[in-house]
Amino acid sequence: MAENHTDHEHIGIPGYLAVFAILIVGTWITYVVAFWDLDSIFPGANTLLALAIAFTKMTVVMLYFMHVRWSKELIWLSAVASFFWLLIMFAFTMQDYFTRVSGVFSA
Amino acid sequence: MQNADAFNPSLMREPKDSYLTNGYSIKSWLLTKDHKRIALMYLISISVFFFMGGLYAAAIRLELLTPGSDLLQSATYNKAFTQHGILMIFFFLIPSIPATLGNFLLPLMIGAKDLALPRINLLSLYLYWIGGILTLYALMQGGVDTGWTFYTPYSTTFSNSYVMAVGLGIFINGFSSILTGLNFIVTIHTMRAPGMTWFRLPLFVWAHYATSLVMILGTPVVAITILLLAIERVVRVGIFDPAIGGDPILFQHLFWFYSHPAVYIMILPGMGVISEVISNFSRKKIFGYEFIAFSSIAIAVFGFLVWGHHMFVSGQSIYAGLVFSFLTMVVAVPSAIKVFNWTATMYKGSISYDTPMLYAIGFLGLFLVGGLTGLFLGSVGLTVHLTDTYFVVAHFHYVMVGGQVIAYLAGIHYWWPKMTGKMYSEFWGKVSAMLVFVGFNLTFFPQFILGYQGMPRRYASYPAEFQVLNVFSTAGASVLGVGLVMPVVYLTHSIFAGKPAGDNPWMLPGLEWRCQSPPTTFNFEEQPVVTWEAYEFGEENGLDIEEARRSAGRPVTV
Amino acid sequence: MSTHADAHDHHHHEPGLQHQFENMGQQEESVSIGMWMFLVQEIMFFGGLFTAYMVYRWRYPMAFAEGSNHLDAFWGGLNTVVLIVSSLTMALTVYYAQKGMRNMQVLMIVLTMLFGTVFLGVKVVEYTDKYNSGLIPVAGWNKKSTGAEVAEKAQAFAFPWEIKTEAADAGHGEKKPYINPRGDFQWNYGHKLVEQAEKGGYLTADEKIHYYSDGRFDPFKFQEKVRMFYFIYFVMTGLHALHMIVGLGIMAWLLWKAWLGTFSALYYSPVEMSGLYWHFVDIVWIFLFPLLYLLGRHFIH
Repeated sequence: MAENHTDHEHIGIPGYLAVFAILIVGTWITYVVAFWDLDSIFPGANTLLALAIAFTKMTVVMLYFMHVRWSKELIWLSAVASFFWLLIMFAFTMQDYFTRVSGVFSA
Repeated sequence: MQNADAFNPSLMREPKDSYLTNGYSIKSWLLTKDHKRIALMYLISISVFFFMGGLYAAAIRLELLTPGSDLLQSATYNKAFTQHGILMIFFFLIPSIPATLGNFLLPLMIGAKDLALPRINLLSLYLYWIGGILTLYALMQGGVDTGWTFYTPYSTTFSNSYVMAVGLGIFINGFSSILTGLNFIVTIHTMRAPGMTWFRLPLFVWAHYATSLVMILGTPVVAITILLLAIERVVRVGIFDPAIGGDPILFQHLFWFYSHPAVYIMILPGMGVISEVISNFSRKKIFGYEFIAFSSIAIAVFGFLVWGHHMFVSGQSIYAGLVFSFLTMVVAVPSAIKVFNWTATMYKGSISYDTPMLYAIGFLGLFLVGGLTGLFLGSVGLTVHLTDTYFVVAHFHYVMVGGQVIAYLAGIHYWWPKMTGKMYSEFWGKVSAMLVFVGFNLTFFPQFILGYQGMPRRYASYPAEFQVLNVFSTAGASVLGVGLVMPVVYLTHSIFAGKPAGDNPWMLPGLEWRCQSPPTTFNFEEQPVVTWEAYEFGEENGLDIEEARRSAGRPVTV
Repeated sequence: MSTHADAHDHHHHEPGLQHQFENMGQQEESVSIGMWMFLVQEIMFFGGLFTAYMVYRWRYPMAFAEGSNHLDAFWGGLNTVVLIVSSLTMALTVYYAQKGMRNMQVLMIVLTMLFGTVFLGVKVVEYTDKYNSGLIPVAGWNKKSTGAEVAEKAQAFAFPWEIKTEAADAGHGEKKPYINPRGDFQWNYGHKLVEQAEKGGYLTADEKIHYYSDGRFDPFKFQEKVRMFYFIYFVMTGLHALHMIVGLGIMAWLLWKAWLGTFSALYYSPVEMSGLYWHFVDIVWIFLFPLLYLLGRHFIH
C-alpha cells in the first residue's frame, strides 16, 4: 500500500473509459438478447447468458474500478470467498428444492 | 523478560498507571476507544443478560418440578423458554468470549496498541446495547413466545406477542457481532508485532479468526431473514406464508444457514480458551499446534455445510437430509482432532490444578458428551426418534453451557489477574468450579434419559412418570445456580480486596503476560518483538515454574 | 480520547494517521481489509434475497415471467446506464484524488451524486407507476379508484403519470379500466404465458399445481404468485435504493472533505473506500437488472 504510492495510476483515464465502454456494451447486449428466444436451444439458455454477461460486467468492475487487480492476495481471497459462500447457500438450498419434486427421492 | 523475582509478592506492588486509572469520568468510559475498557463494559453487559436469562431458566426448572402446569401457565411457559433462549444465545453466548476476552486479549496477544478499528469497536458495543434495550423493552411489554428460532408461519402470522421489537433487537445486535468479527480479522492481519508470524499466534487468536469468519459470512443472512420476516409480519404479504404459495422451509434454510454456523461462534472461542489453559497449566508446548489451528478454520468452513440437520423432519427432501447427515459426520472430525490434541498435551504434562484448569478439564468431559450426542442427532434415522425431545435440549446445553460457558469461566479466571491486576481467592474458585461441574451434570444428564424416553421439549406439563428425573434436574439447576453466582461475589470482592497479582502470576510465556497487569492504555511500553514460538516453556524465558511457585508460597503441584 | 493522544503525539506528523497504527501503510491496509470484509458481509446480506428469488423463480417461472414483463425494461436499462456512468465518475474521483487534483475531484463527486440522484428519481417514477397500476403487493397501499373516478380523472387536470387509467401495457393482456376501491394488489393483465406454456407443453405438472385448482386455471392462485414476484422486486430494489441513499450521504461527506482539499497522493484512502462501496452498489444492480427486468421477456412475441 504505502510503497504503491508512486505507481497508483493503475490504468489511467483511457483505461477507465475502455472499462466503461465494456459495461455499456454488456448492458446493451443483455437488453437485446433478453428478447430472443434462446430457451429453444436449451432450457435456461436465456438465464445463463444474462448471468454470464452480468458476471463479466461484475468482474470488470471489481478488477479495474475497485482495483482488485492491483490488490493483495487477501482482497482476492475475500472477493472469491464471498462468492463461494453464496454458492454454498444457493447450492445447498436448491439441492433440497430440486429433490423435493414429486417422483425424485420421495414416495 | 520475566523472572522468578517478579512473581515474589513481597516485591510486588500495584502499578500506578493503567487503563483503569486513565480517566474516571463516565464520559471517559462511554466514549473510550480503548479495547480493554470496551471489553469490561461488554463483560458487565453480558453478565446482566446472563443473569436475566438465568432467571428464566430458574422459572422453567421450577415449573418442571411438578408434572402439571401449575407455576406457569402454558402461554407464560412458552414465553419463558423463548426469552431464556433469546437472551442466552443472542445476548450472552454469541458475544460472550469474543466481545469480552477476545476484545481484551487479542491486541495484547499479538503485541498491538489496540484493535485496528477502535471506533468500530465502540460502535459495536453501542449496537449491542441498542439491540439489548429493544429486546428488554419487548420483554417488559409482554414478551415473545415463538421460540428463539422464530419459525414461520407462527412468527409471521399467528403469534400476537412482541415479535417485531425482539426481531429488530436481534437484527441490530447482529451488526454488533459482524463489526466485532470484521475488527478481529483486520487486527489479526495487520496489527501483529514484528516477529509474530501466523504460526506463533496463540491458538486463542486462531480460534477468534475462525469465529470472525463465521460472524461475517453468516450473520448478514440471518439479518436479511429477520428483515423478510418483519416485512411479512407487518404488511401481511410474504414469501414464507404457505397460504399464498410461500415456503416456510425457506425460512428455515436461511435461518439455519446462519444459526448453525452460529453454534460454532458459540463454541470456537471457547475452544481457543481451552487450548490456552490446557497448554499453559500443563506447562507443555501444545501438541499438534497446526492441527488445532487449522481444525478451527475447518470447523468454521464445514460448519456452513451442515445446517440442514436441523430440518430432518421439517419437510426438506430426503436426499437433502442424507447429504446434510453425511456432512454432519464430517464436521465432527476437526472437533475430535482438538480433543485428542488437548488430551495429548496433558499427557506427561506438569499439571497444576488451579481454577482455570479445573474448568478446562470439566470442559473436556462435557464437550465430549455434548459432541458425541450430536452425532446421534446428526444421524438421519435416529433423529426421527429424538427430534424435539429433551435429548436435544441436553445435547446443546452440554455443548453451549458445558462448552462455552465453562470455557468462558475458565478464561475469566485465567485472565482475571491481567484484567484487574488482582488475584481472586483460589479456594472459592475451586469450590465454584466443582459446584458448576456437579450441578451442570445433575441438571442435564437426566434430560438425556428423559429425551430418550420420549419427553418432548417446550411443554409446561408432562406425564407423571417423568417426574423423578425432572426433580433431579431441578435440584441440579439450583446447585448450578449457586456455582454460577459465586464467581460474581468473589471476583468482585477481589477487585477491592484481592492481593496484587503481578504481571505474570502463572509464569507463562505468552505476550499478554509480558505487559503490566492491568495493562496501560497502549498496552506495551515499547513495540514488542517476538522471538519465541507459541507455548515455549523453557529456562531461557525465565519461566521456572517451581521456583516461582515456591517463592510465592504456593504449593508446587505436579 | 484527548487523554490518550498525548503519549503518542510524535506519530501525528502524517496526515490522518490514527494512534493505534505505526505508519500510514499499516493504516491503509487495515482500512482496506476492513472495507472488503464489510463488502463480504453485504454480499451475504443480499445473498439471502437472491436465494429467495432463486427458489421462487424456479418454482413459479411463468408467474415470475409475467411479473417481469410488467416492469419497464426501458427505465431499468436506463438506470443501469446511469449507474455505470456514476461508477465511471466514481473511479475517476479516486483517480484525481490520487493525483491530488482538488477541482476535478469535486467535479467528479458532484457528477457521481448527480447520477445517483437521477437513479433514485427514475426509481420514484417506476414505483409511482406500480402504485398507479395496483402492483404494490401490500393491501391498501395502491391507488384507490372506483370505476366512476376513472372517467372524471380523464377530464380533470392530472400529472402525466396519473393519467394512466387503463391497467395494461407491454402489449398483452386484456385492457380493463383501473378499478381498485381498496387499493389491493391486483393482476388484471392476463396469464398469456401460462396459456402459451400449456400449449407448448412446457408447463410442468409441478408448476401447474400452483396455478390450477380442480383442473382449471385459477386466477387468484396465479395472482398470489405474481404478487410474490413483486414482493421480492420491492424488497430487493428497495434495499438497493436504501444503499444508494446511504451512498449519497457518504458522497456528501466526501464532497465536503474534497472541497477542503483533504486528499492528496499521500492520503486518499477515504475516497478509495467510498468508491468501493459505490461500485458494490453498482454491482448489485448489474445483477438485479437482468434478474428482475429481463428474464422471461423472450416469452412475449
